[in-house]
Amino acid sequence: MAIMSRGLAAASRKGAADMLPLSLAVLPWGILFGSLAVQRGFSWLEAQLFSGVIFGGAVQIVTVELIADNASLLTVLFSAFVISSRHFLYGLTLRERLSPQPLRWRLGLGFLLTDELFALSGDRRAYQSRFRLYYALGAGGSFYLAWNLWTFIGIVAGASLPDLTELGLDFAIAATFIALVVPEIKTLASLVTVLVAAAGGILFSLWHWELGLVCAALLAMLSGYLCAKLQGASS
Amino acid sequence: MTLLTIFLLACVTFGTRYLFLEGRLPIRLGPNVKHLLSFSGPAVLTAIAAPIIFVHQQQLHIAIDNPYLWGALAAIVAAYKTGSVYWTIGLGLLTFVLAGF
Repeated sequence: MAIMSRGLAAASRKGAADMLPLSLAVLPWGILFGSLAVQRGFSWLEAQLFSGVIFGGAVQIVTVELIADNASLLTVLFSAFVISSRHFLYGLTLRERLSPQPLRWRLGLGFLLTDELFALSGDRRAYQSRFRLYYALGAGGSFYLAWNLWTFIGIVAGASLPDLTELGLDFAIAATFIALVVPEIKTLASLVTVLVAAAGGILFSLWHWELGLVCAALLAMLSGYLCAKLQGASS
Repeated sequence: MTLLTIFLLACVTFGTRYLFLEGRLPIRLGPNVKHLLSFSGPAVLTAIAAPIIFVHQQQLHIAIDNPYLWGALAAIVAAYKTGSVYWTIGLGLLTFVLAGF
């Protein structure tokens, strides 16, 4: 029993360690959010609650601005829904593996299912054992604590800290995702997927389109899928 | 009022995350959909990473003075050659920092 729980603790520590580059990479955005919320007239409690219960990135920044500008509740909720719609894709992808798990795991990991946790969910064995569940808990939970800590620093520091988003910490996100994606490019179909996703991601981001990420991903998935089908048909 | 809005927003983000993890939701994913979804990881991660590398100040930034390009190039080579997450992030970050000077 002691060995078992030590193993589970080690699994969650491994998750937290693997998440560390991503936890640090979002520091500028957490601080930016905290100070933005306070400057736009939210109390420190409300600002912290955004990160504590909504737990999103772009969605928090966009909705804080909308609420401060007195947008209607419907507008605020709809914008949040559009930005959050990419989560449907994560849920669908992980459905096979997570839906048979007990309710408390589904609720907990569902709450923690950010882009960053999804990024660390690519392994074939992800969520398939107790160790893997604790690994995900360590990864997602540590990211949650980090995001809330960065928010808190932003709230306390307010406008006194400079904008750190131009510091280049976001490169850590790119490097981590490259590390996770490149070794998975084993077939022509996966290469096509990645190239279409890159082109689509860049193009839609230049267009400032809130649904851009989802559309680029869906387009890329479809391209990879069709490529695999065509190859299967021709061989 | 703000607290209510925050609570409703939490329902939106949690709802979108949790919905398809619920086993009682009456949908079954056929083999074609599962095959399609098998590409979602690389697709999403690349669609997030590519703009970080190529888009700055809302402009396409393809130039030799863009440290993100050099860092990404080093990371791609390191990932391809070593397959190690640590080497990829380490060499990528090192190149990124050096190219930034």
